[in-house]
Amino acid sequence: MTDYILLIVGCIFVNNILLMQYLGNCPFLGVSKKMETAVGMAMAVIFVLVMAGAITWIVDIYLLKTFGLEYLRTLSFILVIASLVQFVEMFLRKSIPGLYAGLGIFLPLITTNCAVMGVCLINIMEEYSFTQALVASFSYAVGFGLALVLFAGVRERIILARVPKPLQDTSIGLVTAGMLSLAFFAFKGMV
Amino acid sequence: MVSGFLIMGGLGVVIGVVLALASKVFYVYVDPKIEAVEDALPGANCGGCGLPGCSSNAVAIVAGKASASSCVAGGPDVSAEVAMLMGVKIELKEAEIAAPGCSYGYQDADIKYLYQGINDCRAALLLDGGSKTCPIGCLGLGTCVRACPFGALSMGPDNLPIVDTKLCTGCGTCERECPKHIITLTSTSNRIIGEYVSDECTAPCQRSCPTGINIPGFIQEIRNNNYESALAIIKEKCPLPLICGYICPAPCELSCRRNLTDEAVAINPLKRFVADYEMETGKHITPYKAPGSDQKIAVVGGGAEGLTLSYYLARLGYKPTIFEAKPQLGGILRYVIAENRLPRKVLDHEIEGILQIGVQTKNNVVMGRDFQVESLLRDGFDAVAVTKGGFDSRQVLQPDQNDYDSSISGVYTMLDFLYILSKEKSIDLGQRVLIIHNGRESLDLARRCINMGAERVTIVSSPVVHELPLELQDKKGLAAEGIFIRPQTVVTALKGISRRLIRVALEDIHPIGQIPKERETIRADTLIVAAGRLPEFIFVKSEDQSEAQEEEIVWETIEAFRTFPGDKDGICTPPEPGRISDSSAVVKSLLSGRRLTRAIHQHFSADSVTPIQGLVCETDSILNVTEVHDVISSNRERPHIIDVEGNSKTAWIFPDEYPGLDEASSRREAERCLKCGLICYRKQK
Repeated sequence: MTDYILLIVGCIFVNNILLMQYLGNCPFLGVSKKMETAVGMAMAVIFVLVMAGAITWIVDIYLLKTFGLEYLRTLSFILVIASLVQFVEMFLRKSIPGLYAGLGIFLPLITTNCAVMGVCLINIMEEYSFTQALVASFSYAVGFGLALVLFAGVRERIILARVPKPLQDTSIGLVTAGMLSLAFFAFKGMV
Repeated sequence: MVSGFLIMGGLGVVIGVVLALASKVFYVYVDPKIEAVEDALPGANCGGCGLPGCSSNAVAIVAGKASASSCVAGGPDVSAEVAMLMGVKIELKEAEIAAPGCSYGYQDADIKYLYQGINDCRAALLLDGGSKTCPIGCLGLGTCVRACPFGALSMGPDNLPIVDTKLCTGCGTCERECPKHIITLTSTSNRIIGEYVSDECTAPCQRSCPTGINIPGFIQEIRNNNYESALAIIKEKCPLPLICGYICPAPCELSCRRNLTDEAVAINPLKRFVADYEMETGKHITPYKAPGSDQKIAVVGGGAEGLTLSYYLARLGYKPTIFEAKPQLGGILRYVIAENRLPRKVLDHEIEGILQIGVQTKNNVVMGRDFQVESLLRDGFDAVAVTKGGFDSRQVLQPDQNDYDSSISGVYTMLDFLYILSKEKSIDLGQRVLIIHNGRESLDLARRCINMGAERVTIVSSPVVHELPLELQDKKGLAAEGIFIRPQTVVTALKGISRRLIRVALEDIHPIGQIPKERETIRADTLIVAAGRLPEFIFVKSEDQSEAQEEEIVWETIEAFRTFPGDKDGICTPPEPGRISDSSAVVKSLLSGRRLTRAIHQHFSADSVTPIQGLVCETDSILNVTEVHDVISSNRERPHIIDVEGNSKTAWIFPDEYPGLDEASSRREAERCLKCGLICYRKQK
């Protein structure tokens, strides 16, 4: 039990995928201008990451490891994740149109998200069990959402401030992201 | 190596097949029209249509949930293109423009603290709702100016936004961005028929004027030596400025903030001064008009209320015709009020001005004798409004000397009803009779009706009486006779076929603030008004003509004074169900006339009349000031008269014809106006 709690805290805060591992920075800057879109993106990532974590673990253990094809891991993961997102999109559009409309454009965006890919690879490298892989994927996704929402809140207020022209928009965004990352350094060594 | 190929190839094939199957199984049809409509829309994603963006509006248009002209930013061209794609006709939406609602900048308004933070209203709002004391004061940091996607807004010298009406498309971005909801959209029609709401900057005099004239506005124009635009401001709300200048009781002067230091500003004499100026020039200042909607409206009664109704209808583009029973227009103003209080040349001048903007008249025609509701509807009128308020209850019935036909079919006053009975022994009542009364006489009347063959008589008691007379309390016994009692109820609508009454809508009186019960419609062939009078009714052709036989017309009435949803009072008169107009002063009739216009306009163009929420009333506990500072005391200007010894002096009570202020004293008086806002006023020290 303690292991799992440590795993969850570790994934959300200490090894936060965005602010400590610097994966998935393009949506971090791209969709963080408005709280609304940030929340949408966070939900979509949680949804996809849990599914991708499970599927890639199965593919790795039962397909790649069995046939000794670990060198094809990256390639096969890209294939699996991309088609998974495609499938989920089609499924949602038909069966749960409400959720589809809510997640909107963010679902296809995640196809090319390195945070998703990264977490799947970490799961394998850390040699997690299936349950551990599921919990870790979920926690990383929650960490991603947390960082994104925090950042969006900060950026919504920065819009109101007088920022020197050369530093406006993405530049000040990156500066802010750096400071947020420094703040997360405080968690270092907790787990 | 080979296994690698096989595994990856196999994985690819499996995924491909699954996705191919999924795309068949989960296929969703997307209307190609949506894409076409989306291409036609401007793509500014301004949100003026009320939906999150152009693509959501495209979906709504194709689904039929939004109209082809819902894109406000695109204007008529885009509407036309969308309408062509959808294969529908466009109903043109009246253009709206943004209007800022604050007139005191930082330097003049009361402030709580000095704000030096982030230069944005949304940020300033976080500190106790902004630094101005007034809760609806413009924060002046220009968030709306920066938000405007069309560059129509700029900041004026006193830190208040200025709208360039040529560039404004009415997209409503500023309205949504303004954190204090100070800048709002209005259309010409809404300005003509609108009323003040509590979160709007209004002066105390403006709030207590039944017609709601922008008093500080017109006095400011007098100060600027611009008498014609002063009169234009008055005419926006009051079609009879000179008549009001003579005989208005001027409730505005009672609430003037100057009363707190010295004397009220002579508002009414100032109004009379500019109206006199117009009369001397001999031409009429024509107020602006809204784009037309061609319906013909018959206005029955040419008194103050009927004239006002016709005036506003003409300004909204309708084609009103006044039907007046007397030889000349004016009603009580002409036939009742003493000539030295209101000279008839003044009346003629004002009526001429109203007729000039497009009002037809027919004098010497009596409703019930020369025409009926039915005949007017048949003659191509789209609505018939009855504005006979000032002439009291007798006017429900205008009996012909020969055959006692009532002006509204099946509706009698009790006096006329009994008078006819005394001569003719019997009246064809039909089966169901409704009596509006709360006294004992109604029971006698009900029994006589039963004797004459009525099957069921319902007695409707007005809301004034809380306890019914003893005779009417025996509900069971009376029900056995066929008499039913409905206490605390009012009649709100009539329905009939050609010259027959068939139904009457009843509504229970409910305390203000409670949700009203749904109105009930009961069958009635005869309606007898024993006490009070019926509300002003507007007759229109019913949409459901299924009950009519051959040449008949089914008509019904729409409610006149209840076009205000919500639970608050209106200006001075709460619009409760079954309300009748108040004719105690000419200004109150003007208000009734304008409300009738609103009801008619709402009936014919339901979409463009926005409901009013939070109507302001003089009794409202609206933010106000109880003491004024930094005002130089000065005396009110009074008209000059010659006393018995031949000396000129100023006077308050006049011997004969009421004299007005001259130009010099008007200008001095205009300087006394404090140009009040909700809490701001012009400080003079």
